[in-house]
Amino acid sequence: MSAEDQQNAELPLDTNLLKEISKKALVDALNSVHGSKTLVLDPSLAGPLGLVTEVALLKHHGVDKMYWLERGPLSSSTTNIVYLCRPLVNYVKIIADHIKRHAKESSKHNYTLLLVPRLSSLVSRLLEEEGVLGDITISAYNLQFLPIADDVISLEYESAFKDIWVDGDESVVYDSAQALITLQKLFGLFPRLLGKGDYAARLINLLTTYLTQSHDSSTADTLLEPSSNFDSLVVIDRRVDMITPLLTQLTYEGLIDELLGIRNSHVELPASLVNPPSNVSADTAAAPPAATSSTSLRKENKKKYHLTSSDSLFKELRDLNFSNVGKQLNGVARRLDDDYKTSLQSKTTAQLRDFVERLRGRLYSEHQSLRIHTGVSELLVPMTRTEQFNKSLEIQQNLLASYNISDQISSIEELIAKGADIETVVRLLCLASITLGGIKVKALDNIKREFLQAYGYDFLPLLLSLAAPSLAILLPNPLPPSTPSAVQASKFPFASLRKSLRLLIDDNPEALDEVENDISFVYSGYAPISVRLVQCVAQKGGVLSNPAEKEKTLAPDGSKKSNADGKVQAHPIVGWKGFEDILATLPGKTVDETQNPVGVIAPLGGIARPKNKTTTTVVFFLGGCTYTEIAALRWVARQNRGRNFLIATTGMITGSSIVEGIAGIQKATAGAKDAGI
Amino acid sequence: MSEHPTTSWQAMQNGTVFYRRQQLYSILGKLPDLGDYIIAGCRYGGPLAMMRDNTKLIAVGRATPAHAKSQIQVYSSAGEGLLLFSWDHSRIIRFGWTLNEQLVVLNEEGVYRVYDLQGDYQQYSLGSEASEVGVVDARIHENGMVALTGSLTLLEVKGWEGTRPMTLANPNVTDPPLSWAVIPPDSNISRHVEVLLSVENTIYTVDNLESVDQRLSQGPFTHVSPSPNGKSLALLSASGTLLVISSDFQRRMAEFDTLNVPSAQGNVKQVEWCGNDAIVVTWESLAVLVGPFADTLQYYYVGNTFAITETDGVRIFGADVCDLIQKVPVSTLSIFRPGSTSPAAILYDAWESFTQRSPKTDESIRSIRPELAAAVDGCIDAAGQEWEPYWQRRLLSTAKFGQGFLDFPNPTDFINMGQTLKVLNAVRYYEIGIPLTYSQYSYTSPTHLISRLTSRNMHLLALRVSTFLSLKPDEVLKHWASAKIMRTRPVASGTGKEAELDSDDEVCRLIVDKFKQLGGVEVSYAEIAKRAWEVGRTGLATKLLDYEKRASDQVPLLLSMKEDRLALKKAVDSGDTDLVYQVLLHLHKHLTLGSFFRLIEDGGEHLALASRLLQVYAREQDRDMLRDFYYSDDRRVESAVLALEEASRMVDPTARISAVKSAQKFFSEDKDRGFEAKMMDESARLLTFQQQLEAEADGKVVFFSQSVNETIRTCILNGMLKRADKIKSDFKVPDKRFWYTKMYALTEVRDFEGLDAFSKSKRSPIGYEPFVRHLVEKGHSKEAVAYVARCDPPKRADLYAECNEWRMVGKECKDRGDKAKLQQLRKNCPNSLIARELEQIAMSMK
Repeated sequence: MSAEDQQNAELPLDTNLLKEISKKALVDALNSVHGSKTLVLDPSLAGPLGLVTEVALLKHHGVDKMYWLERGPLSSSTTNIVYLCRPLVNYVKIIADHIKRHAKESSKHNYTLLLVPRLSSLVSRLLEEEGVLGDITISAYNLQFLPIADDVISLEYESAFKDIWVDGDESVVYDSAQALITLQKLFGLFPRLLGKGDYAARLINLLTTYLTQSHDSSTADTLLEPSSNFDSLVVIDRRVDMITPLLTQLTYEGLIDELLGIRNSHVELPASLVNPPSNVSADTAAAPPAATSSTSLRKENKKKYHLTSSDSLFKELRDLNFSNVGKQLNGVARRLDDDYKTSLQSKTTAQLRDFVERLRGRLYSEHQSLRIHTGVSELLVPMTRTEQFNKSLEIQQNLLASYNISDQISSIEELIAKGADIETVVRLLCLASITLGGIKVKALDNIKREFLQAYGYDFLPLLLSLAAPSLAILLPNPLPPSTPSAVQASKFPFASLRKSLRLLIDDNPEALDEVENDISFVYSGYAPISVRLVQCVAQKGGVLSNPAEKEKTLAPDGSKKSNADGKVQAHPIVGWKGFEDILATLPGKTVDETQNPVGVIAPLGGIARPKNKTTTTVVFFLGGCTYTEIAALRWVARQNRGRNFLIATTGMITGSSIVEGIAGIQKATAGAKDAGI
Repeated sequence: MSEHPTTSWQAMQNGTVFYRRQQLYSILGKLPDLGDYIIAGCRYGGPLAMMRDNTKLIAVGRATPAHAKSQIQVYSSAGEGLLLFSWDHSRIIRFGWTLNEQLVVLNEEGVYRVYDLQGDYQQYSLGSEASEVGVVDARIHENGMVALTGSLTLLEVKGWEGTRPMTLANPNVTDPPLSWAVIPPDSNISRHVEVLLSVENTIYTVDNLESVDQRLSQGPFTHVSPSPNGKSLALLSASGTLLVISSDFQRRMAEFDTLNVPSAQGNVKQVEWCGNDAIVVTWESLAVLVGPFADTLQYYYVGNTFAITETDGVRIFGADVCDLIQKVPVSTLSIFRPGSTSPAAILYDAWESFTQRSPKTDESIRSIRPELAAAVDGCIDAAGQEWEPYWQRRLLSTAKFGQGFLDFPNPTDFINMGQTLKVLNAVRYYEIGIPLTYSQYSYTSPTHLISRLTSRNMHLLALRVSTFLSLKPDEVLKHWASAKIMRTRPVASGTGKEAELDSDDEVCRLIVDKFKQLGGVEVSYAEIAKRAWEVGRTGLATKLLDYEKRASDQVPLLLSMKEDRLALKKAVDSGDTDLVYQVLLHLHKHLTLGSFFRLIEDGGEHLALASRLLQVYAREQDRDMLRDFYYSDDRRVESAVLALEEASRMVDPTARISAVKSAQKFFSEDKDRGFEAKMMDESARLLTFQQQLEAEADGKVVFFSQSVNETIRTCILNGMLKRADKIKSDFKVPDKRFWYTKMYALTEVRDFEGLDAFSKSKRSPIGYEPFVRHLVEKGHSKEAVAYVARCDPPKRADLYAECNEWRMVGKECKDRGDKAKLQQLRKNCPNSLIARELEQIAMSMK
């Protein structure tokens, strides 16, 4: 292999390709309708679409006006109306209503319905029942994985968790399989498929049967041989690790998601923070004044801010434990200050011009992002100081350590009495149930009663869903005799896992803050089980002990050079080997399959591959993942040479978003009639 | 030896351009008189469809068909009869060919059928509107058609799968156009169909957005004909002027007066294109080729003619011949043009000398050494353009000969051309009768050719061609199997042996064996099974379906075969939720509710997915059905949750209470749900109490559907303290929660006196620290101070600091002698004045 090849191999996969594909598909779909058109958009798709395209592109392809898909009349000046939505019953009814109204007003339109991500016979049937099927052309817009960071791709399904584990609607699993197949079509077959959890097994089963079923003529060449890019796919079913999302994320990005909320990589910040103060530079202030003056009427004006990997400061900050963010920001501020100072000392005009150039470019943007992130931290700090936040953290840590259990239950009860957020309370209750293997019947009944009285009896279905066999994360102990055996078998062996997977790092906390020497930094001393499982596949040493620590003892002088070059070559993927026993104790199926192209029998012991080539391990979180898990996986990737991670997920979640999803609590969304992306 | 290629050439434009007339087949006596028939020709060497033109008189004779019923005959280019079927619907308006050699026949009621060459058809309709007003005319192109309705509007059909017709912009014309044409989407710049209507003196262009008058004045036009690539139009005006313009109507390219053609008699019959740069105008027994500069060439025929535009020429049928007229391709021209000195021509010359053992060879080769590679390529290409194998062989030999002199010969093109020509010569054979040119073949692809062969039931040839070209035999096999099933239709009167041979097992085995033998494992068995089912062989269909691996193909057929349970099972196994929905919706429609539920419930764990999807669907769309479903399955908890969900949507209080009560009842029927039943009982009680409260507050305050906490809060906010206490006792609200709730509410209404009284009413179960913290949080630091003294002594200093009472902080610390605390708090104090004061206190302490 030539040196150049090897260099190419070091680069992570180009996930932007996925974005380009989605973009092209959208343009094609729009162009299939001739002439100018009105686009009516599913609000839940606005975010994902914003990651794919911008309004200008839509305009360029004949979109005249955009509206949200919502109840009420729709007046359109164009003949063509294009609906873009997910196949939900609700939306279909609205569309049918629009068509009927137009028919009554005898205004003639051509309707096109683009369903995301694929056609649905359910929708056709509903339209038929409404009697408007003949008036509308239905086609699909296959929106699949979208890159939300360089190494993270997401399907951006908001309700994936609820769909699978509460409603039992497996559409997400099927769509995920389709999306992973697309990924394989682009980059080649995953040589090895690993998974933990029943639905993970289902997903892998769908992936493998697809291959045997696909007709050769339609099969892409890439599906015919194992990829040289990928070394494996690890599917983690969210049900396998329910603890992680229930905990409060303590990395910078995770905390932003917990406290401010990140949607489709955008966070809503006070407008004053996002907009640069107008005196900074004239040209940036020229555009927005009209907008700001009109909107400043509202009291708390929020503005969306895109958290991207292209923001180098954010890239540094996002995975840090929040306790270190202040220090980092301080350091950057000081460096910028130094930069300004040195340039002030510049003697010649050439130096000065050079400085001004830098000021306009990199320095300016860095300055901006420093200002924003300092602002964000300032927003977060008071929120992390509240009693509720700290009490909840304390209960979490104690539960994880199984410390003084009965006190924790009464602490939760006290939180209810104090009127804490319903999400916080439910998260803690579920956490208690999982870590303790169920809550004592009497205590549970009591706390459930407290809960219902405090938040309303309407939440009884929520409690039932949490206790239902498919989810089973809020259970009494002992289980009533009538419980299905499946539930009894799926008891989570937390106490033994804590030991075998080294979940709690009880080194002295000061040292922990200094050295991020284990993935547990993301929860200040607790390692997410999901990522530990990935480590079981991709970094076996990391499960047993802290590699960083070991290195320190090996090279006591701690010279930086040895540290940088001393990264160990990642070991080849050999499945769950060494951890089979632990995996067997975890509920849910365990899968380990080698994937061979159709009709080819691979040599035993996997496919021989060049030793130094960097390969990518795809980690797919079925049911969503948290920002802390991403941070932890990035940390794992940094420890070894020769292995990158590509994190794929059905969506970004927090414990609260799960609870809200199940309870049907809807966070208010922007309700402007004119849609903007 | 065949005649030299140039013998069929004719020069145009002062000898720079040549056209050749290649006789493809001699068809003397095979076709009826073309003049008496309406004819539609298929491009790419495809067949002719003919129907008797009823407007013409015909001499009664032996050849005249006795019945007056419409009959369509299909002949291959070589005049071989392919198909004959009669039409028993209302009057045929138009017929034409699709890209896949399917014949589309449209009648005046807007019903159209798509026939394959075996006479099987699919029937579709243009919709009710079209059938009411009737269809007066249509234009059929390869991938769709445009129909002109009786109300003079245009309907477009895209593709041939029976898609719903789209209405194009209304041209607003009062009379049917004199003539019209469409430019298919593929060759139009907008990728949407464009219709050209000849109205009065001008042409209207119509697409789905607008109708534009192009303001031509030479009309009316009797013929409108777009070129194959859609870039130019040929218009023939009533005054006999042929006008060639660009299809955007911007440029006029040529003008030609057809009245001046000397031997032309009668009316112009057809205006067709010969490739993209010349036009053929036909009269009876005469075809005139009009070049780009209005030069003409005349071709005489015996009897009536029919011309079909091809992408690289024009096919003309006369009474005795089928000809291809095309521009002589560049490569051929450069070799055979008299006096040509191109490298390819010299190479050809060298090879001829070589075969005659003349030493001139060497000299010739030397002279073209630098361009030899190009010359070889030229010869290969020219070979592809020749019709006669003799000349193909000669040119290929030349190329091979030239290759020998190359330093790095690359034989790929040579081999490909050799293979291609072998295939082309095979299909051009008159029994097959597909006169496909090389460029047409390249354009339509080998797989297209194979599908054309299979549609003629020429499976062996198709199979051989596909093996020869190393293509997958799947399509051929699939078609073969369908044909096999059709042929072996069990006949009741069959003799013993035949019946045995035709039995389901036998046919199934034959088909499966053949597939395995030829490696056609990717053939979709479902399609074949469907075929079997369509001809009524259910047993065979089931057997074949077992071999199908893809559920999405299996399921629809299983459904139509009424194999409900199997269909549902396969759909669930596939994991494709949409497929499951398809089955569920189908079954819901066709089964009684009871048997529908039983089917799902009996499936147990295996059909759990189906059951859950049904619930998801029904929750949104059909709640009554869901209620029945839960009820029939004794699912008390689900029934209760459903009742609750409905309750939460209800506005009417009484209805809501009764819904909650029914939920309570459902829960109470399940002995494990005692807790839930109790909660629902409480809930109903609360709702009733809230109604009462609202009545007491004269309807000014909303209580209904609040939680217990909120109800307490609302009571306190509105001064109904007694009521709050009653709720506390009625619902056994624990002291702690009650105290928090009441404290929050009193703070909210700023009833600080009330709060003070409340705090003193008894010893606080929550201590007094929460009072301080909450008051501070809500910005009432001053009021908070009073409570600090009642807190635990060690915390007081901190709490004072929170209340911003720095003097008290100092005092507290001093009293307790806690110097360290003081020092620590001092760091947080707001101004230096206080800091100094605290410093002094600290100093004074030991």
